[in-house]
Amino acid sequence: MSSQSDLVRPFVITGGRTRASDASLRIETMVQTNGDGIGGADFEHARILELCREPLSVGEVAGKLDVPLGVAMVLVDDLVAENRLVVHHSDPVDIELSVLTKMIDRVRAL
Amino acid sequence: MTSVKFVVAGGFGVGKTTFVGAISEITPLTTEAAMTTESLGVDDTSLVAAKTTTTVAMDFGRITVDDDLVMYLFGTPGQERFGFMWDDLCMGAIGAVVLADTRRLADCFDAVDYFETRKVPFVVGMNRFEGSHRHSIPDIREALGLTDDVPIVDCDARHKDSVKSVVISLLEHLVRRAGR
Repeated sequence: MSSQSDLVRPFVITGGRTRASDASLRIETMVQTNGDGIGGADFEHARILELCREPLSVGEVAGKLDVPLGVAMVLVDDLVAENRLVVHHSDPVDIELSVLTKMIDRVRAL
Repeated sequence: MTSVKFVVAGGFGVGKTTFVGAISEITPLTTEAAMTTESLGVDDTSLVAAKTTTTVAMDFGRITVDDDLVMYLFGTPGQERFGFMWDDLCMGAIGAVVLADTRRLADCFDAVDYFETRKVPFVVGMNRFEGSHRHSIPDIREALGLTDDVPIVDCDARHKDSVKSVVISLLEHLVRRAGR
């Protein structure tokens, strides 16, 4: 895994693109496959589709693929554009009291 | 599925990575991100501050709350010599922990400024290293110029219970703000 990223300059995987076209993607944005499998996807995209059978953040995709965050953003963005990944948008401004209470209970139980 | 983001900030070597690792359910992941930093010096000929891009590694951990909610904790890269250009990382964060070391209190000034300016609610975790002076909370509050509503709590990033109590104090701080 790491040997590959050591040998390939990171943005070669993205064809030189350094920015995702969807600027709303953030490090904590959750993405998930649409359930169609990985058929036809090239290597890096296929790995992302495999990882994202369960919802996963873009940051986790970067960490698990061992690529810089910017590379993961571009690759995830490709799959979103092809409707192969679904974005779970969350609105951080709108955190309800009940959600905060749930988080407090969870952290207490750790 | 909703994700909420918290950031953990503070000077270099203050224990951000340890803090994230103490409470994460996964082995903290590391990813590299490009950060734009404005260098402190001014270019004599153009009088324009030079911008450089630095690649920094950052660690993050995860706490799954339930089937619909995940919390992420991100350690901000310690770049105390540069202006803080964390906007990509901090955009959308619902709260922050500023870790401070009583021996090097000034190292967290940038982080405090950053979150105050951007109105990100935060708590200060005082990492009292062995042999360090035990400043009183009012002294620390004064030194950091914090208003009375910002919680200051003890924090030993090596101990899970201590880290949990810091995160809970941040969440309770958010509850109080939501109630206002």
